[in-house]
Amino acid sequence: MLNKAQVTYLARESLAGFSRRKLTTGVTILIMASALMVLAVLTLVTLNLGTLLETARGGLDLRVYLRDDLPSERLAELRPRLLTLPGVQQVTWIDSEAALVEFRQQLGDDEPLLDLLDRNPLPSSYHVTFTTEARNPDSVRSVRDEVSRWDEVSEILFNQEWVDALERWTFRFQMASLVAGLMVFLAAIFVISNTVKLTIASSARIIQIQKLVGATNAFIRTPFLCEGAVQGLLAGILAMSLLAIAGRILGHSLGGLVFFSPAQLMGFVLFCVTLGLAGSWAAMRKYLTLRSDI
Amino acid sequence: MATKKTTTQRRPGPDGLGASGAADGRAIIAFHHVDLEYDDQMALSDVTFSVANGEFVCLTGPSGAGKSSILRLVAMDAFPTKGQVIVRGMPATRMNRGRVPELRREIGFVFQDFRLLEDRSVEENVAFAQLVVGVPHLQILQNVMRVLTQVGLYDKRHRLPRQLSGGEQQRVAIARAMVNSPKILLADEPTGNLDPVTAQEIIDLLFRVNDSGTCVLFSTHDHEIVKTFGQRVLVVDGGKLLSDERRRVPIDRSASLVDHMYRAPAEAAGAVQRPARKEPVHA
Repeated sequence: MLNKAQVTYLARESLAGFSRRKLTTGVTILIMASALMVLAVLTLVTLNLGTLLETARGGLDLRVYLRDDLPSERLAELRPRLLTLPGVQQVTWIDSEAALVEFRQQLGDDEPLLDLLDRNPLPSSYHVTFTTEARNPDSVRSVRDEVSRWDEVSEILFNQEWVDALERWTFRFQMASLVAGLMVFLAAIFVISNTVKLTIASSARIIQIQKLVGATNAFIRTPFLCEGAVQGLLAGILAMSLLAIAGRILGHSLGGLVFFSPAQLMGFVLFCVTLGLAGSWAAMRKYLTLRSDI
Repeated sequence: MATKKTTTQRRPGPDGLGASGAADGRAIIAFHHVDLEYDDQMALSDVTFSVANGEFVCLTGPSGAGKSSILRLVAMDAFPTKGQVIVRGMPATRMNRGRVPELRREIGFVFQDFRLLEDRSVEENVAFAQLVVGVPHLQILQNVMRVLTQVGLYDKRHRLPRQLSGGEQQRVAIARAMVNSPKILLADEPTGNLDPVTAQEIIDLLFRVNDSGTCVLFSTHDHEIVKTFGQRVLVVDGGKLLSDERRRVPIDRSASLVDHMYRAPAEAAGAVQRPARKEPVHA
């Protein structure tokens, strides 16, 4: 248990490092802030891609086009059959006239072209949407395969390819982010650890004397750990402030951009504090196992 | 500082080690057939001796003989490759490394290069040794005042080390070593950077420390200093203990180091007689 004099000493020593080593401390904070910003940007891009993917999955549906020659009774029978398929949430009937109206709207200025046709070429169809759980390519694909075997069906439209592509790219980006994040994390630990080693080397004499007079490793280590933690805190605040400003500016031009919640921002700052502690610990661990050179 | 008497009753074995290899009741330091290797190089070979509580021992030999290795083993800054070192009843080979700081609090260190904190005052340098071991603030102030008065530097307590002479810096180092009331004082070439007059002052100060009951292990390669010793002298060379001379009859210490080095023998012999030092109890 530390007494009051020791607590005062440790607090003073932890803060004294900043004034004694302004340049080293500044560089360490900048390196940590940069590393954190890289990690935070990677996380933000991953988060936004995830949101985009969710939105895309919300649009996963089937358009089931039917043969022209079917009697209306058979067409009506199809609806309950479609609703019994797994994952199907809603089935909406779109007859050929409604499809033509919709098509006219889509053509816009070219709409008079349709007047050249002597009959409505569009078939009637069912629009099939899925439950949230079933909004994935595999579920939708299995429903499509089942329905495509029905005699009444002439064609099925499924916006599968771009969703597949988006999912593939999102997965690849997440993996790349993970690897890059890990590398940035290790590089940050390495740089911080080496910076702290320089700091410790400049305090070699005081550490040696502390060991000589019987200070425990925990006592010797404490000011350096505190210094590392404070550096991490400052780096975290700096990085998150810069990111928040950038997020606000980009948020105006890119609507719907997902940004960190205050809790997540706090989490990043805490992560940076941990980074500072880990760097100091790694540097001290090796140093404290060395002989005190009596 | 009174000499702590242990109550352990063991039949003493050779060189202060009991039959089980434990330290003799009166031995504060015991080496038992100690080998020490650094990176496959033999620093010490089969060294056996013991030091009694309150004893003053001079450790001498040329540079690289193994003197510092012996001090390092006592401080448990190194551990024997073979054999056993027991300091204050703690055997090195069975000691938990986490308890080394606890042992170091009972050992004071003095070095040739003083090893003071250059950016702190005399007072802060001495107080530092108390602070790290958790002595309350008020007690630190009292203890620092006491030891600085003892070494004659209380008036210079606010000065920085660079504002002091070499001898004064060494006295600060001794004050720092003594402030925690250690049972053992390890002095590694403490006079190496000092002129003969100052060296004599430092040796006298170490004798005063010894008079208060602290066991002193004094290492030097200087033959002239060794000649002035009326105490026990251990001679090491090539990592071996060559001799363990117990000077039962103190030599005339009235002839100081300065006398030995700068005055004719006849003149030195005529110097004012100093009181003979009392002999410590040997193991």
